[in-house]
Amino acid sequence: MSYTLTEEQQLIAQSASDFAKESLDTIAVELDRTGHFPRAAIKALAGHDFLGLLLPEEVGGAGAGFVSYVNVVEILARSCASVAAIVSNHVLAAYVIQTWGTAEQKKLYLPGLAQGEVLGGIAACESGATGIPGGGSLVAIRQGNGYVLNGSKTFVRNAGEAGLYVVFAKTDATANPNVLTAFIVDAKAPGLHVGPKLDTMGLRGCPIADLVFNNVAVQDSAVLGSVNGGGAIIAATLAVASVAEAAQTVGLAQAALKHAATYSTQRIQFGRPIGSFQAIQVLLANVSANCYATRLAVLDAAASIEHGQPFLAEAAMVKLLALHLGQKSLIDVVQVEGGYGYSEEMTLARLYRDIAGTTVRDSPADFPEGRIAAEIA
Amino acid sequence: MLASITHPKLLLSDRECNHMQLTSDQLRLQAIAREFTAAHIIPFASKYDQTGEFPLFAVEEAKKAGLICMAIPKKFGGAEYDSVTQSVVVEEWAYGCAGFATTLSGNGLSSYPLLIAGSDEQKKLYFTPIVEGGLGAFSLTEPGAGSDAGSCKTTAKRVGNDYVLNGVKCFCTTGSYAKVFVIFASTDPDKGVKGLSAFVVERDRAGLMIGSVEHKLGIRSSNTIELILRDVCIPADRLLGKEGDGMKIAMKTLDMARPMVASIGVGVARRGLDECLKYLSTGKPSQMAQFTVADMEIQVEAARALVRSALSLKDAGLPYSKEAAVAKTFATDAAMQVCAAAQQLLGSLALSSASTVQKLLRDAKVLQIYEGTNQVQRMVIAGQILREQEAKQAAATGGK
Repeated sequence: MSYTLTEEQQLIAQSASDFAKESLDTIAVELDRTGHFPRAAIKALAGHDFLGLLLPEEVGGAGAGFVSYVNVVEILARSCASVAAIVSNHVLAAYVIQTWGTAEQKKLYLPGLAQGEVLGGIAACESGATGIPGGGSLVAIRQGNGYVLNGSKTFVRNAGEAGLYVVFAKTDATANPNVLTAFIVDAKAPGLHVGPKLDTMGLRGCPIADLVFNNVAVQDSAVLGSVNGGGAIIAATLAVASVAEAAQTVGLAQAALKHAATYSTQRIQFGRPIGSFQAIQVLLANVSANCYATRLAVLDAAASIEHGQPFLAEAAMVKLLALHLGQKSLIDVVQVEGGYGYSEEMTLARLYRDIAGTTVRDSPADFPEGRIAAEIA
Repeated sequence: MLASITHPKLLLSDRECNHMQLTSDQLRLQAIAREFTAAHIIPFASKYDQTGEFPLFAVEEAKKAGLICMAIPKKFGGAEYDSVTQSVVVEEWAYGCAGFATTLSGNGLSSYPLLIAGSDEQKKLYFTPIVEGGLGAFSLTEPGAGSDAGSCKTTAKRVGNDYVLNGVKCFCTTGSYAKVFVIFASTDPDKGVKGLSAFVVERDRAGLMIGSVEHKLGIRSSNTIELILRDVCIPADRLLGKEGDGMKIAMKTLDMARPMVASIGVGVARRGLDECLKYLSTGKPSQMAQFTVADMEIQVEAARALVRSALSLKDAGLPYSKEAAVAKTFATDAAMQVCAAAQQLLGSLALSSASTVQKLLRDAKVLQIYEGTNQVQRMVIAGQILREQEAKQAAATGGK
């Protein structure tokens, strides 16, 4: 495939870049300090059609594809990863409804999501110790023309700010605990509670909390896809999410690299810029090479998703590359700026925390290596 | 003073102790330090990390436990522990919190220049307030002189029987709370590195001012400040060694301090590993998790062995400069890798500000930076082994 962006993709990327420079560079420090939700920025992003990025034009979306989605996430993350995370989780929720929703569900939810009147969130992670996505403690019991949900989900991004959540619950608990169904749940549903916002090390502007379901009643019309068919939806959703999260890591690593490289041309030690030392060049070059490879892999996986090709193994490899890029960035980039890089008055300390907050396995059970190995055989 | 523990080995039956390498005195100190850490560091580390408050109470407690002036000779009222013993204690502190460990071991770092070059009078002047429970600070770095310590701009001008110091130092650990400082300044700026000199300066000297306090990514309870010197007048007898000895003293000080930073690395890595083990023991660990903790254990053990090996050389009076740099680099790289791996292993569980692993990840980073970045360590190591090789070849050629 060609890695040259189409004219449309270039325009979207340029528009994201202009927006980020104008509206995000200025708020990133403040968001990190206060941990407040960036309401104004999200509203402005909606005005630029970024919240409906993947949705078709007939529901008010931008009709862009996954390649543009990962481009936008990377670009936003270079300026403010909290905002990138909020947007990427919202866009993902909209994508899930667009892909698996009925005509009625699309008509009901997509215009609001496209316009950013409603923010979306995905509740996939369980609070059980093993944290296996989907498997575990949220149970849906059949009752009348619908289901009653009880249990909880954890580490839900956009929690408390979202107007709707795509939720995965166990619908056949006795026969097979791995059988899941996806539901669309209104944030105002009686019995749905948002736990306290987690005080996080990084991505502090992106709210993250538990969702607690206490006899939350939903109609059959809330079922997304088929009953007991949630497993395939969650697998695809998490795979797409990991590609977007990798794009976020690439954006953060790129921003950190740029900062450190600029610093290295200005910082004079031993009578010359430290950037003229091979030791510093090696630090920057290795992270940069990782970043380059990960970005290409992100774009390739995004193109596969966009063109309806298989992408689960590719997404797992992208996730692994992003994990490595994140670790390498944490270890090597602050090192370039030494004591100054370690200061919270400087930019790198924030990027360090944001990278640590981004490139995580969902849990010790999150094991992309297994999928990759199976795929090779 | 010291808690009375009669059977230290009974208290120290676990894998972290490496009994065989330690004497019974060292094991006893290890047990005391471990008790101290459990009582006075671990319960407070998270709170002091979040507020950035300086843990003066821990300094008080360390004094009571007899752990505050380990490097100071008995003649001056100190404990005069050998270096291995000091490192054993520092590892325990760091297991509790790298920030506390930095504060508590700071008296060691700032005492070393006196041990290296101080006269008895100077030692008395410097060690007395420390033995009484006060703190000392070492100030070498400047905004324009980090890795390149020789490009120091602070000057010390001889005026009659005094020196007058002027300049701005930075990243001075514990500066706000120190009673005495060792400050490096140039007595002959034209000579560069060879014009650097070291001075003992008391806190109450006029013109010595505390500037901005650093807000850091990690070790937040450790106090890091800018030190402003404006016409600070001190008697000429505060000069350590001779004019121009500064760089030599600074390098020897860092040789002594590096294995202690390495020990902080060992403590931090060991804690990162333990946090993973604590989590994994609640379920059936996957093979990936098992291999991850195995790799961590390999790094912890290897790092500790390097520290003790370097310090055994020092305690035996043998050269150990390269070994100190090797230990510092390996142990602090290990700490960083272990903490990054721990964060990956625990995933979302390490996101919260209340999680120990996220604090470890922030704390670990500084260990690769302070006391000479690990890039500078590699310069030291390569310099020495290349010089040795040159000498070997020269000897071989000369023999022909």
